[in-house]
Amino acid sequence: MSCKEMQRKFDDRLDDRLGEVDRMAFDEHVTVCAECRQDWRAYANAWATLQHHADIEPSFGFTARTLRRLTELVVVPSGFWRPVFRWAVLAAGVIVLGVGAWVGHERLVAQRRAEIYAGIRQADYLEDFDVIASLDQLNSAQSGANGGNKL
Amino acid sequence: MTSSESDVALMARVRNGDTDAFRVLIERHQRAVINTIYRAIGDACEAEDLAQRVFLQVFRSAKRYQPTAKFTTWLFTITRNTILNEHRRRRRHAAESLEALQSPRPGESGGWEATDQTAADPSQQVIERELQDKIMEAVQQLPEAQRTAVILCRYEGLSYEEIAQVLGCSVSATKSLLHRARLTLKEKLRGCY
Repeated sequence: MSCKEMQRKFDDRLDDRLGEVDRMAFDEHVTVCAECRQDWRAYANAWATLQHHADIEPSFGFTARTLRRLTELVVVPSGFWRPVFRWAVLAAGVIVLGVGAWVGHERLVAQRRAEIYAGIRQADYLEDFDVIASLDQLNSAQSGANGGNKL
Repeated sequence: MTSSESDVALMARVRNGDTDAFRVLIERHQRAVINTIYRAIGDACEAEDLAQRVFLQVFRSAKRYQPTAKFTTWLFTITRNTILNEHRRRRRHAAESLEALQSPRPGESGGWEATDQTAADPSQQVIERELQDKIMEAVQQLPEAQRTAVILCRYEGLSYEEIAQVLGCSVSATKSLLHRARLTLKEKLRGCY
């Protein structure tokens, strides 16, 4: 086993994931090669040192405090009320859509009515001032001026 | 007996809103969750508050839990997300991290006590504390994914596969993360071993 291969196997050796043959080869190399031995010791010792970082204990009443916080959470309607709540939301949505459609339709009808009234008013205007007759007069006057060439 | 029930069985009861089952889950995993957070953020007081949030999230998400996944893997995934959110919040409110620096370390005030009581001699205690500080500093300085991998591997004893699930990456990526973290720790902790 080369020194480079050894370096790659540090983690597997540390986590005890090497097979028996590989582990023996590893240990044998470490015994023989001073440089790898030094590297391996530093690597393994640093990892072992982490164990010196002691655990902390949960403070007294941790569970009770957590359960208390749980009851403070906003509770969504449950049990019997849950389906009622769901149907109520659905019904409200349908009503809102229905009212919206009705209002839209009414506006459209009103707009059409306004257009028709405007057309009628325009027609009345034309009739009151006899514009068509005026145009006829204008036509005949122009034809006279052009020497009998009618338009 | 409730205390002997598996985590999956308890979660099935929590799913139906059973707070007794939830209590057992908290008591079973509180230490692991609190210590994981503590090692990640370095603040014992904040660690308890965040651990409570983790458990509340477990309760809220109980319906989404799939029994195919190991409970602890799922729990540590929630823990990791909570820690990430806390780091983001601290970056946004930089002043609060100053407050965290001033918070008591375990053993300095009531509430949190280091469980390692081997160092009875005061001078030995000082040496031990210095060593703990160095370890904490070295772990804290690791990039987030490396730090989480180290905590889960070294302190919680999770396998590469479980760590990969928590981190959401492949097993080979997890191995690589651990290797780089160990190389960094070897340099940072030189002289401590």
